[in-house]
Amino acid sequence: MSNDRHWWRDLDELLDTPDFREALGREFPAGAAELADGMTRRSFVRLLGASIALAGVGGCFERPRERILPYVSEPPESTPGLARHYATSMTLGGYATGLLVESHAGRPTKIEGNPDHPASLGAAGVYEQASILQLYDPERARAPRLGRGKSSWSDVGALLSPARLGPLVGARGAGLGLLLEPSASPLSSEMLGRVREGYPEAGVHFYSPLGSRASDRAALTAFGRALLPQYDFRSADVVLSLDADFLAGVPFSLRYARDFADRRRIAAPTDEMNRLYVIEPGLSVTGGTADHRLRVRAGEVESLAGAVLAEVTRRVNAPGTRGGQGIPGDVASVISGLEPPPGHREWITALARDLDAHPGRTIVIAGERQPPRVHVLAHLLNAALGNVGRTVRYIESPLLEAGAPSHELAPLVEAMRGGAVRALLVLDGNPAYTAPADLEFAAALRRVPTSIYHGLYENETARACGAFVPSLHYLESWADGRAWDGTASLVQPLVAPLYGGKTDAELLAALIGDSEAGAHELLQELWRGHMAGTDFANAWDEALQRGVIAGSAASETTPAWRWGAIGTELAGTRARADTSLELVLDQDPSVYDGRFANNVWLQELPDPVTKLTWGNAALLSPATAARLQVATGDVVELAYHGRTLRVPAFLLPGHAVDSVSLRLGYGRGAGDEAVADGVGANAYRLLTGGMAHFGGGLAVSPALGDDGAPLRERLATTQTHWRLEGRPVALRAALDDYRRNPAFAEPERGRVLSLYEPGTGSGDQWAMVIDLATCTGCSACVVACQAENNIPVVGKEGVLDGREMHWLRIDRYFEGSVEDPAVLMQPMLCQHCEKAPCEYVCPVSATLHSPDGLNEMVYNRCIGTRFCSNNCPYKVRRFNWFDYNAEVAETERMAKNPDVTVRGRGVMEKCTFCVQRIREAQIAAGIEGAATGEVRTACQQACPARAITFGSLNDPESELVRRRAEPRRYAVLHELGTVPRVQYLAAITNPNPELPRGDGGG
Amino acid sequence: MATAVGSGPAQFTDRLLAPAWTPSRVWWVLFGVSGAGTLVLAGAVAYTVATGIGVWGNNIPVAWAYAIINFVWWIGIGHAGTFISAFLLLFHQRWRSSINRVAEAMTLFALVNAGLFPLLHLGRPWFFYWLIPYPTRMGVWPQFKSALPWDAAAVATYFTVSLLFWYLGLVPDLAAARDRAPGRTRRRIYGVFALGWRGAGRQWHQYRVAYLVLAGLAAPLVISVHSIVSLDFAISQLPGWHSTIFPPYFVAGAIYSGFAMVLLLLIPLRRAFRLEDLITERHLDNMAKLLLAMAWMLIYSYVVETFMAWYSGNAYERYTYLVERPLGPYAWIFWGMLTANVVVPQLFWWRRLRVSPPVLFAASLLILAGMWTERFIIIVTSLNRDFLPSSWHFYAPTWVDWSILFGSVAFFFLLFFLFLRFVPMVAISELKQQRHEASAAAAAVAAP
Repeated sequence: MSNDRHWWRDLDELLDTPDFREALGREFPAGAAELADGMTRRSFVRLLGASIALAGVGGCFERPRERILPYVSEPPESTPGLARHYATSMTLGGYATGLLVESHAGRPTKIEGNPDHPASLGAAGVYEQASILQLYDPERARAPRLGRGKSSWSDVGALLSPARLGPLVGARGAGLGLLLEPSASPLSSEMLGRVREGYPEAGVHFYSPLGSRASDRAALTAFGRALLPQYDFRSADVVLSLDADFLAGVPFSLRYARDFADRRRIAAPTDEMNRLYVIEPGLSVTGGTADHRLRVRAGEVESLAGAVLAEVTRRVNAPGTRGGQGIPGDVASVISGLEPPPGHREWITALARDLDAHPGRTIVIAGERQPPRVHVLAHLLNAALGNVGRTVRYIESPLLEAGAPSHELAPLVEAMRGGAVRALLVLDGNPAYTAPADLEFAAALRRVPTSIYHGLYENETARACGAFVPSLHYLESWADGRAWDGTASLVQPLVAPLYGGKTDAELLAALIGDSEAGAHELLQELWRGHMAGTDFANAWDEALQRGVIAGSAASETTPAWRWGAIGTELAGTRARADTSLELVLDQDPSVYDGRFANNVWLQELPDPVTKLTWGNAALLSPATAARLQVATGDVVELAYHGRTLRVPAFLLPGHAVDSVSLRLGYGRGAGDEAVADGVGANAYRLLTGGMAHFGGGLAVSPALGDDGAPLRERLATTQTHWRLEGRPVALRAALDDYRRNPAFAEPERGRVLSLYEPGTGSGDQWAMVIDLATCTGCSACVVACQAENNIPVVGKEGVLDGREMHWLRIDRYFEGSVEDPAVLMQPMLCQHCEKAPCEYVCPVSATLHSPDGLNEMVYNRCIGTRFCSNNCPYKVRRFNWFDYNAEVAETERMAKNPDVTVRGRGVMEKCTFCVQRIREAQIAAGIEGAATGEVRTACQQACPARAITFGSLNDPESELVRRRAEPRRYAVLHELGTVPRVQYLAAITNPNPELPRGDGGG
Repeated sequence: MATAVGSGPAQFTDRLLAPAWTPSRVWWVLFGVSGAGTLVLAGAVAYTVATGIGVWGNNIPVAWAYAIINFVWWIGIGHAGTFISAFLLLFHQRWRSSINRVAEAMTLFALVNAGLFPLLHLGRPWFFYWLIPYPTRMGVWPQFKSALPWDAAAVATYFTVSLLFWYLGLVPDLAAARDRAPGRTRRRIYGVFALGWRGAGRQWHQYRVAYLVLAGLAAPLVISVHSIVSLDFAISQLPGWHSTIFPPYFVAGAIYSGFAMVLLLLIPLRRAFRLEDLITERHLDNMAKLLLAMAWMLIYSYVVETFMAWYSGNAYERYTYLVERPLGPYAWIFWGMLTANVVVPQLFWWRRLRVSPPVLFAASLLILAGMWTERFIIIVTSLNRDFLPSSWHFYAPTWVDWSILFGSVAFFFLLFFLFLRFVPMVAISELKQQRHEASAAAAAVAAP
């Protein structure tokens, strides 16, 4: 690695003689390249013959018809072989997340977080990272369609023009309907405004099956405005989540996970950390991280939240305390009447005392699935605890028309069915699939004379629409968006549209007669106005380069409480919800609302808690399953409000009793998305018009086949065993115990008996530390690794056979009782053992150690004996059982990272510590003559909790060395003497001493 | 001189060569069946090589399964022939002569089958030669710390020596076949393989020396080859594999299964070709005793490795030996294996059962199945639940696995039937010599 030595081959080179210089310039030894004699008759004929033969060969190649130019000088924005990063942002659930996209020779290959963007701070989630594959999806729609036949943009654009549409929908547009996804985009706002100018009576509607309408409604009740709470987890000592999966499942969760982890990462036993209470029905990523988790049916969260509020106000208002936060008497009396359901009184009291002990330093957050009343209770709790203005701030919701009736779908469907909608334009989303089943959206859509769908795929909604216009992937589009906190950012394209299509703004422009408008011009025109007073060109360039528009975050607003409405709302709080079996619908951690169902990375990404891939299942607790007499894999029939759905059951420890969870987004079909087709069961069929994502009255019965026999289905989980069997694999300790015994992890680290002197070697010595205290199991690292390292997918059959290829997996263990266990998440990857058991058993030296401590895999040398995998105690090696890459579509190949070998059939592969990044940094350092700078692995980069630290053991200044010095460091399977370079920091939990241990958290 | 009519040396030779001249209808049927099975093997192998070994049931963690089980099984079976030929020759066990030819042939065919699997199980079988230390321009060598290059070398050496040993023993009989074969073509062919044997005294002298030397070479190989095969497992650190008893344990198991296979072949042969006077009750009795002895060596190994797992106090070892094997998902295979390998041979404490061909035949079949399942237990139940519970995964074979297993059995029998058809199946010259010596001794006794 060092270049302080100058190697020379012979004395001529050392002395730099003219002979040597000439020899260098010549490819062949002297005389070899010249004709030995003059042109003779024979040699002339020989050359003639050869020329004619070669001329024929030359004729096989055809130059392109167009004029091409040789590459004479490098354009400044491109150095061949070097990747560039561009800032852009991706909108999901209405809110934008800032990203940096890596581009190789004009082709985007990897998505990373934008450190400057508040929703990312450098991290990227599973959806954002996997969206690169969506760009290259060969099943994306490629051409507009009118009726059944292929069409062109000019035809469809003409159809949209006022000249054609006007007579159909009336001059004021009363017959025109627009259905969009909730959006915070200033450009969309602008374009909708222009459409409304043209068609003042047009109905504009927003629909998302997930969304936050309950939150908006609660804000309208409590404040009269659609205020959006902003949580500052960095300042929160105690957090109570009321069924809110804020660490993984909400629009701002990358940021929340980062802030939350910052308060959970403790360098020394004396440090303080936050404490998390979660009340939830299913087991979420957030729930798995909780110090205390109360598993209750989703319908009981409301009464528990009420009881917490009653207890908190009782304590706050007690004589000698600091007093209430101005809650008027009538509301206070309603609150004091909220009683906890039996059985949880002790838990609630301890929680309330804990919350009350940290005035202004707690957060109560309500889940989007919970009804408005729970959100109101959360607002009141935050107010009572003095959090408002400190850990909880309110801003005006950046969403367009947040809280307005336009976010209701039912009136639109009513109008469609009644024939009032003469033309409907559906922009993105997939309402024919995601709309509540009882609205019969697809049927209503067929009654609209002119329906146009604009989306990435010819999906269920496209099939129900008369015309179709392909939309552009965000990596092909000019657009903008706002983050959860209101920060605006631009969306700039990385690549020219692969298949052609239009952006939302272009389509809306066509509606007002400008079918040739480009999104870039529209966007610039809008922002020229917003950036007035500055040098627009500079401001524009800076916005593109930084990926955020400086100072655009929404400012805080002080809420005005509407006590009357609050009192009325609270009066309806039920002390106890009905006790029937409950159905809970979940956002899927892989396919979201179903829009990513055609993404093979996400289909194969194990669910963080169930480890299920390729489909969904009815999740239920072992006790409930025993009562219903179902086992994992039994197909059950869920009957709910008159609709039934067949889905396999899956027993999930920690799930609430008498509750069944089902992830949305599966059971797609009737579209072009061949990957998504038929995977899992469509939970939207059980979603009702009230949009409640949970409710009682579910009946579960075994599904029988045509022959009357019970049906079973094999579920593809990547982890079949839950228990740790008492093995020192994933360690964890409560904070108190850690303080009492800081050396608890010591037996699992340090020197092992060996005949050889240990030594790490000089120069860069790469190592990693993974902090289990902050890892939530969100799986962003898994997708990052997949994207960075060209990891293939194996399909459901492959996962069932135990052949998934992920180099980095997240092991999830349950500890304690089967019904209510503690959850342990452990990222597991090649441990880069200093004494690697895989290396000495390879018969052909295909896996060896590099001088800088990497366990390397030489694909070309591997003959595939798989002995290395057998001898790997961590089972992190992956084998190419088939030629997996042969099945990758031509377009999808463009997503491959050109810096990483694409492996063929029959060879072993595994984590390389992102060796391509290490070597790139070393080469750069070598050119500079400096020490190797910071190297960040893909997993480390993506991790929102910053649980992964990477660096050189020989760099005493590095964070790695600092973290390795922590007393809770240990090596997995230390006693085997493998001396792994990946070491872990034991998980530390912070249970409330007042509560018994083993209630899920402590 | 109580020689029966028609049992003079010439008639004796004729009788033993007869099967080679006129195949029976039964032979054709057996040839057809085993040939069809071989085609299944060829198809399954072609499918595997064309598609990838993903068509098998292997996965991570169970990266080795049927191919390696079959390999170890066949190699083990291949031990009996050389053991009978070389060890018993060196120990002057003359009863071996009636059975050594069949046993050696069996060894070779078992090795041919065994050799198939290490190649086939590779992810990239076309690079199998990288396991062999040959000088390359790139200067890369196999990695000699791994057991696998040694494995390849041991098996290749064993096959070569076994083949030479078998062929050398065959030469005088091939000459006899040359002399008696009906038709010119056959005589020519046998003539080529007889290498100009004329039965001269000098040739006999050199033949004896060479045969003894080869026996001396082959004998240690019987021990070494399965010891080295066992190192494929023992050098790993996997609970269930990482065990110092493996080399002797594997050798004992190999000889055990090899003798079972010899019995399985001899008992029908003896009946079909009326060889009861050559393969006598004494032969059966001796081989049954050997089975019993080997069974006890195995039982000792089973007890010791289980005891050591418990005594080590190592949680992983204990889990594999004391939980996973007796109680895990493959427990029924484990208990079946113990029944076949431990309980069944105890029948041979009784002489009546030792000399009963049906009992021996059934017991051999069970022991062969038991030894196959033993390798299944060693390989699969060690891998499927190792250190990290998160990576535990069940293993189930596919139809391709089964096709290759049964196809290889068919291929073995195909080779064996071809052997019966074209090669003298007992060591005629050795037996004639023994008869001559016996009659000379009898004459010497009678003379005074």
